[in-house]
Amino acid sequence: MTMPVMRTPRSVDLAITNRCNLRCTYCSHFTGAGDVGQELSKKEWLRFFQELNRYAIMKVTLQGGEPFCRNDLKDLIEGIVENRMRFNILSNGTLITDEMAKFLASTRRCDGVQISVDGSVPITHDSCRGEGSFFKAMQGINCLQKYGLRVSVRVTIHKHNVLDLENLARLLLEEIQLPGFSTNSACHLGLCKQNADQVQLSVEERSLAMQALQQLNKKYNGLISATAGPLAEGTTWLAMETAHREGSEPLPERGRLSGCNGPMSQLGVRADGVMVPCVQLSHMDLGRINHDDLGEVWRTHPELTRLRERRSISLNSFVYCQGCNYINYCTGNCPALAYEVFGQVNHPSPDGCLKRFLETGGRLPRLSDTNQ
Amino acid sequence: MQDLEKPVANPLVVLREEFDDWAVLFDPDTGNAFGLNPIGVFVWKRLDGHHDLKDLVKDVREHFEDVPNEAENHVQNFIQTMAQRGLVGCETLK
Ligand code: SF4
Ligand code: SF4
Repeated sequence: MTMPVMRTPRSVDLAITNRCNLRCTYCSHFTGAGDVGQELSKKEWLRFFQELNRYAIMKVTLQGGEPFCRNDLKDLIEGIVENRMRFNILSNGTLITDEMAKFLASTRRCDGVQISVDGSVPITHDSCRGEGSFFKAMQGINCLQKYGLRVSVRVTIHKHNVLDLENLARLLLEEIQLPGFSTNSACHLGLCKQNADQVQLSVEERSLAMQALQQLNKKYNGLISATAGPLAEGTTWLAMETAHREGSEPLPERGRLSGCNGPMSQLGVRADGVMVPCVQLSHMDLGRINHDDLGEVWRTHPELTRLRERRSISLNSFVYCQGCNYINYCTGNCPALAYEVFGQVNHPSPDGCLKRFLETGGRLPRLSDTNQ
Repeated sequence: MQDLEKPVANPLVVLREEFDDWAVLFDPDTGNAFGLNPIGVFVWKRLDGHHDLKDLVKDVREHFEDVPNEAENHVQNFIQTMAQRGLVGCETLK
């Protein structure tokens, strides 16, 4: 079964720098394959933006490391604007000044800046991100809001903030009046691998976070979102559990390795200019920008084709999944996390595995606590 | 076609050809995107300030099969809708 592939990606994630002013203990970038110890010059990025224009890319996401570490960030953004694209930025928020926020707003092309906020008070936020970072991130948000920029906060849930979620939701949604925020959790990538005992949620904490987030999302009418982490898992797993209990027909696209849609519409570029299918799959070298043609890589690179075709692989073919009650309702989850554990992307990831979660003592949220 | 004798596609607007001959027009200033069918794509590529409505319809008839009689209206509406959205400008006949 082959899915049609668009001629070029719609959006590209750009790790424009390898540097960061913080060293969060669960950072997925540092020590991972994307931590390449160097970054491209302004000239090289600007040249690449012209290619993105020729290939009609609509949007880029600037990330790193910390994008605001680059002194020439304004020049890069001007290059993005000149080349007919919009952009958003993923940031820790601590380096955003009033002047920078004003500049971003003046481009009229900024779709939003995502700031990481992990706690309602410094003690929880700074526990993994370093002293002083809470107040600086809040100042950054304040600057962005002053100029009417869209701020989307991302909360990474870990051992030190799992009991602070209610206060955090109140801070973000009531006090600073964000239109919503998203969540994920510290996962087995980058620095988190070596600090797992101190930061990663235990099964019990994961169950607690799931329950708390479902209740909060009910209270706040669905203003909390997630594509990974306890909120997303709680929702997906409850649906899987219900489908299994009711003996439902297999869900569409499930029962196969269909957990990743990234390579159907987007591409990533590491700080050293190597193209990758996703920044979380930074070990997969697809070629180098300004040397290899982006359109050709997108359409013909065998690794990318293999990744797109993984959705035809049945979960029944894995010993790992055999006998599982949820097989007809499962996607096999993120390939990047599968790679971290099994060394192969074409495998289900244990991180998002409902069977394993329940076998190790995990509890699903109550249906009555959900927003459904 | 009042103001739009020889329409010109706004050069800031991005034509993204995605699947087969279908495409998306993307206005980076607003973030709006509009789907185009293959005839829309064909017409869009001829909005260069050198073709008027008659030329455009003639080209469409030559290029596609079974073009309906009301094609001229369709092309005109398409251009006017695009103009209202700021995606098309004009070079008026003096
Ligand atoms: S590899 Fe994982 S993080 Fe990347 S796009 Fe796929 S599912 Fe998302
Ligand atoms: S074993 Fe886990 S990954 Fe495999 S089908 Fe069951 S729930 Fe999904």
